[in-house]
Amino acid sequence: MTILEIILTILLAGIIGLFFLGLSRKIMARIHWRYGPPIVQPVIDIIKLFNQTSISHGILFNFGIIFSLAGSVVVLLFLPLGRICPLSNSGGLLVILYLMLISPLGLALSGGEAANPNASIGISRKFLLALGYEVPLLLILLAVMTYYNSISIVEIVNKQIQAGWSFQSLPLILSGIAYILILPAILGLRPFEMIHAPQEISSGPLVEYSGKFLALTTILHAFNVFIGISLFVNLFLGGAENPGYFFLKMLGVFIIVILVNAVFPRFRIEQAIKYLWKWPTLLAFAGLIIALITT
Amino acid sequence: MNLEILLAIAFGGALFTYILGKIYSRLRNGFAVLNALALVVMTSCLYGQTMEKSLNFGFLDLPFVLRINMMSWFFAITIVGIGLLSVLFSIKFMKNEKRLDYYYFNMLFINASMLGTVISGDLVSFFIFWEIMSWSTYLLISYKGGKAIFAGLKYIIMSIIGSLAMLLVIISLYTNFGTLVISELALQIQTASLSYVFFILIMVSLAFVIINAFWPFHTWLPDAHAEAVSPFSSVLSAVLVRKGMYGLYLFMYVILGFNILNKLTSGIVSFNSVLCWLGAITIVFAALTALLQNDSKRILAWSTVGQGGYMILGVAFATTLGMAGGTFHILNHCIYIALLFFVAGSIEYRTGGIRDINSLGGLIKKMPITFIGGLVGISGLIGVPLTNGFVSKWLIYKTLILGNSPFLAFAAFIGTWGTILYGYKFIHNIFLGQLPEKYKDIKEVPFTMQLPIIILTILVILFGILPGIPLKMVNAVGTSLGFSSLNVTLGGIASEAGTLNIINIFMAVLVISIIVWLIYKRGRKAVSVTQDDNYAAGAAVPIEKYHYTVDFYYPLTRMISPFLKDFIDDFYMRLSRSVQNLCDGIRRIYTGDVGYYVMYIILFLALLIFVQLNWKPW
Repeated sequence: MTILEIILTILLAGIIGLFFLGLSRKIMARIHWRYGPPIVQPVIDIIKLFNQTSISHGILFNFGIIFSLAGSVVVLLFLPLGRICPLSNSGGLLVILYLMLISPLGLALSGGEAANPNASIGISRKFLLALGYEVPLLLILLAVMTYYNSISIVEIVNKQIQAGWSFQSLPLILSGIAYILILPAILGLRPFEMIHAPQEISSGPLVEYSGKFLALTTILHAFNVFIGISLFVNLFLGGAENPGYFFLKMLGVFIIVILVNAVFPRFRIEQAIKYLWKWPTLLAFAGLIIALITT
Repeated sequence: MNLEILLAIAFGGALFTYILGKIYSRLRNGFAVLNALALVVMTSCLYGQTMEKSLNFGFLDLPFVLRINMMSWFFAITIVGIGLLSVLFSIKFMKNEKRLDYYYFNMLFINASMLGTVISGDLVSFFIFWEIMSWSTYLLISYKGGKAIFAGLKYIIMSIIGSLAMLLVIISLYTNFGTLVISELALQIQTASLSYVFFILIMVSLAFVIINAFWPFHTWLPDAHAEAVSPFSSVLSAVLVRKGMYGLYLFMYVILGFNILNKLTSGIVSFNSVLCWLGAITIVFAALTALLQNDSKRILAWSTVGQGGYMILGVAFATTLGMAGGTFHILNHCIYIALLFFVAGSIEYRTGGIRDINSLGGLIKKMPITFIGGLVGISGLIGVPLTNGFVSKWLIYKTLILGNSPFLAFAAFIGTWGTILYGYKFIHNIFLGQLPEKYKDIKEVPFTMQLPIIILTILVILFGILPGIPLKMVNAVGTSLGFSSLNVTLGGIASEAGTLNIINIFMAVLVISIIVWLIYKRGRKAVSVTQDDNYAAGAAVPIEKYHYTVDFYYPLTRMISPFLKDFIDDFYMRLSRSVQNLCDGIRRIYTGDVGYYVMYIILFLALLIFVQLNWKPW
């Protein structure tokens, strides 16, 4: 049963994530007054890339990307998708927070072995941006955990199903707004796209990847988009009773993020940090204090 | 096994090593290792035993009491374990240094005195061992001369301040209660007045907070750790600094106990909460300062400062879960920081003493074992799941969140995210990126240096995947201090407030990695190329290759460095300078020349006569 759930979670997450990637290109194109590629384009790309020749720079270069993808997939198993949550009993939100480290670390090690300065610059930016958004994110998560007095994400979802979304409950609304403000940074979309910045540092950490490595990073990106939005839906939009409803909620959030992505230019990294440490952090801080008082 | 025999072997072995070194130096190294090994074996045999023994040849007619219980065993095993590995590491590392007899003697002597502090059952012998430890540490920090002498001085001055405070407490306790045996004191002190207990606690905490290097007493540590020789740095950082935690355990939970600690509150401020906040400040300050460092050992030194904050957060929170987290973190920190100092030492050994990480790079292919050690050590330091640091940090976070202290938890989290940044920088700048031309022919370190790295690497991963093994021991420490027992399983914790099952996580990561690997294998095989192949996109490779390491986090460090000025250190330095100036001034008056003194006497007499003549006061 658990194994079935695990397979189902991974498949659903993969399909939803890839669908979002395709959809985002379509929406972006329409905003730009273009026709855009078909929605299955990311899948076509992945199949094509797997059959292309690629170059490798060493063992860590190969295994870093594998660990990175595996780390992302493991996080999925801790996130409730509707009612499905295979590893709900193994540590809760704290473990999710830490497991989310494996993916960027793996990619960073792999990119570091490539020894290309563009990759190093991208990685440095990735970690700086992560520190930037983790400050408000941690405050938000702490507010949620303090308010519900639990570190189990399943329990938090259940309490919301009983008592309504946390986004609607007054003590957590500030935290919810702060989360929306940092969501583009978590997903690495514009205006926080400086990690990849194709025109500037040739896709940063991905600069030395080719063929199947690029295919794996595309899958990784799909999973990461799924994780970032799924965490928000679970914590603030009350999760869902079934995967279908869950998907609709995710879709709504994703379209908002994509609309922001379509019209904003890129921040420089220090501008991004300054932004992240100002309004979202202030809101999250106030949210935490309110959550602390109301419990 | 007798405790006095253990101590005799520890101290006697140190002396014998010195003498042997004078006679036949090759035997000396082997004997030093054997002696350290014997201590490990003997200490492991003492597992789970509780005994107290009074000997009559005490100092000033006070009994000399030795005792062992779960808590002292826990600290003792870390001391002898790291002691053995660092002596082993020293053999090749110190090969070309001078005064080796003195070095090995001092290493073993410090080991023995640390062992003495944890198994002594009365405060006089505790103090004596403590002082032996402080002074021999001072000598060994300054071993290399130059900057190291200054670092040693900084250490010893702060250490003496702490020791004096402790001595005052010991004298006061003796005059009030007439005994210094810990078990008797613990009973008698329950009747003492609260203000007296508060005084005792503040004074001893000063001693232990200084050795633990909590903010604002952290200033000695970065210098001392960076300037000491690497094998000794790992002893310093892994076990010696944590003698401060032992002291806090001893006074807070063994001698005073909860009853008294719970009474020391006024409003929301209690002694424990002050310690917690000191820990939180230490974590954030140290993590951000470590970001600015470019010296491999200095980065590790600052991380040592920061990790101490996690321990005190857990321990001072004084719940079963927190205590387990804090105690476990002491063990975990001891393992991975010793590992990281060995790694930094190996790099120094092969590159001719280079500690500036910006001038290194690309060593992964040349020193793979060292690299794996470094990667695992840094992962443990960050607390990546499946390494030991994760479990203890999980326990501490959980304690803080469920204990309704989200701001303390926030400080702890931010410390961890800072650790990721400097941890990756440590790995990237040393091992990844481009290999400088001059390190083209570098080789992996010899086997006796690899062995400690391999052992500790395995321990980090073993305790990370099966945390039940050490947690059982940690749990026994907690229960011996009067905390209730945790429900420990092999894969973590199964308490009603939430479970942690590392084995599940491990299985998930393993299976999914294998699946991803299989998918990876299905793709077309990758061609292995050198780094130059793609670097210049087909054009000729430039001679001076760009390598992005210097100021790795410049956009951030530029923003935060003005806020991170170590004004505490500045304050201490200014204080010491002004004391020195004052003393210089006094010395100009007391020149030591009799002529000047005669002149002073005559001038003074003249003044008296002048006063008498004018105003006739007498």
